[in-house]
Amino acid sequence: MGFLHWGSNLEPGPDKIAIGVLFSTRGSYASLGREGLHGALTAIAEINADAVHPFKLVAATRDPAGNTEAYAGLCRDIIDASGARFIVGCTTSWSRKEVIPVLERTGTQLWYPCPYEGFEGNDHVVYVGACPNQHILPLLAFVLERFGHDPLLVGSNYIWGWETNRIAREQVERQGGTVRGERFVPLGDTDIGHIIEEVRLKRPDFILNTLIGPSSQAFVEAYWALGDADPAFAPEHRPIISCNWTEGEAAALGPKAAGHLTVAPYFEAAPTAANHAFLATARRFAPAQSRVSAFFVQAYAAVHMIARGIAAGGRVDAAAVRDDAKATSYAAPFGPLRIHAETNHAILTPQIGRARADGAFDVVSRADAPVVPDPYLVHAERRQAPVRQSPYLRVVT
Amino acid sequence: MSERGPVLHADKRRALVLHRPHPTVEFMLRQFTQIGMTADIFWPDLPPDLDATGYGVLFFDADLGHDEQFPWVAGETPIPAVALIGSEAPGRIAWAIRRGADAQLLKPVTSGGIYSAVLIASEAFARRQALAAEVASLKQRLDRREAVAEATALLMLRDNSSPEAAYRALRQQAMAGRLSIEAMAVRLIALQQSRESRHDSA
Repeated sequence: MGFLHWGSNLEPGPDKIAIGVLFSTRGSYASLGREGLHGALTAIAEINADAVHPFKLVAATRDPAGNTEAYAGLCRDIIDASGARFIVGCTTSWSRKEVIPVLERTGTQLWYPCPYEGFEGNDHVVYVGACPNQHILPLLAFVLERFGHDPLLVGSNYIWGWETNRIAREQVERQGGTVRGERFVPLGDTDIGHIIEEVRLKRPDFILNTLIGPSSQAFVEAYWALGDADPAFAPEHRPIISCNWTEGEAAALGPKAAGHLTVAPYFEAAPTAANHAFLATARRFAPAQSRVSAFFVQAYAAVHMIARGIAAGGRVDAAAVRDDAKATSYAAPFGPLRIHAETNHAILTPQIGRARADGAFDVVSRADAPVVPDPYLVHAERRQAPVRQSPYLRVVT
Repeated sequence: MSERGPVLHADKRRALVLHRPHPTVEFMLRQFTQIGMTADIFWPDLPPDLDATGYGVLFFDADLGHDEQFPWVAGETPIPAVALIGSEAPGRIAWAIRRGADAQLLKPVTSGGIYSAVLIASEAFARRQALAAEVASLKQRLDRREAVAEATALLMLRDNSSPEAAYRALRQQAMAGRLSIEAMAVRLIALQQSRESRHDSA
């Protein structure tokens, strides 16, 4: 696990500032939790090693091990033990909802670094990941035009899958399409043969996959076997699309995952100098993290924005630091990152990535401009989305 | 002018709670005690043989809830219902509405909210029940309009009278029998039918 301190015992002092780090490295979404953990710890180590700011950050790390009911207590524990005013953490919406009462009672700020299904805007949370008008809507706009209007929806049986699929269904039906089927499987379940059989029979134009972790991996792998037996199910004809698919997950499946699509504000393969510098930093401080995704970068960026806000204001004030992130852009590895003043959510530029055989994503489409977050989907263009502007073309590669 | 406060009736002071064990439930229990209520907690399902009418109100979890938890179909919740909402995602809200939520309470529940939720849900439920009963009675009367027309025709034939005179006669019979016109019409038609059937069998 590299040389990062897990649950560091360093006591915060006058020039030491505690940052809570609350991710699960075990359980059904462990790979995403590990990215968040290592992203946050990398930024902390980098800031300390390079003397970026006139103070040191001290990580107060706790691991709820995928147990939703453990988050609130461990969040409280971080605050009591370290005095942290900032927590970078949580992957699922359930865990975020669990810690919110603790944040409200203690005036602590959670920097939540993951995409989620929206419909929240808590003053004690900074939402660094994408909300639906920055993930599922641009992803659907891309595939509906190119692959057809009749998807099959499959997801893990909790709020992320329910809501992302519901938004997709609304959008598909508004465009004159039909949802060919919708299936949910329990979190962590890898028994998905029946869904592959349904795909085979119903021949959807594409499959929206909101499964998490091992379920998602099992599904993508089984779908590859189907495509291997029948080329009609190859990704260039009927891709799997996802809003929560990472480089690490794609790399684990290698060529079996190639050709499928995901959406994120960051991809590891971005050919920019800023990204190359960032990847060198990640290798230096988190050598165990062989691949990084938006989940890693967003946690990394959150720590940098917190540190910069503390330095700018000269004090450890959770609300002032949040407001600094609204006022000034931070140069994230994927470009300027600012928090939207009204919603506490990040302003992000969505990109559509297509998996290569080595697990990297090639960007096949990018929003023309940064997209203002619309967590309650009240301004989204879905309201005036045109109906089937043109006959769609299948992508042939 | 001061409003008269709504009353938490003694027979409504037993709550049914459908939620997993959680600090929110502990806070709810504390509030129930404070407002003189008791509660039975169930998870993951309500018992299939549950007599819900023994309870004044149902609190149900909108976050992890699903139809199979309830021994009655959606929309037929027999008591006032309060949705416990953590996620305000529209899919979950739609489900809570379909399950018949009369009021809602946002989670996390801490030291308040139960009392007003119980009163508002009870009032909304009672109003909904009263409206449903009134609509049913109006519908019944509408259905019986046909019977009034048929009974009027019967009287016209029997008395060789005008439609107006026949309707007047029907109304007088109804008043004499202390029945609604619709009910008297139904009775006259039934009488006629039984006469005809006796005649047929004779």
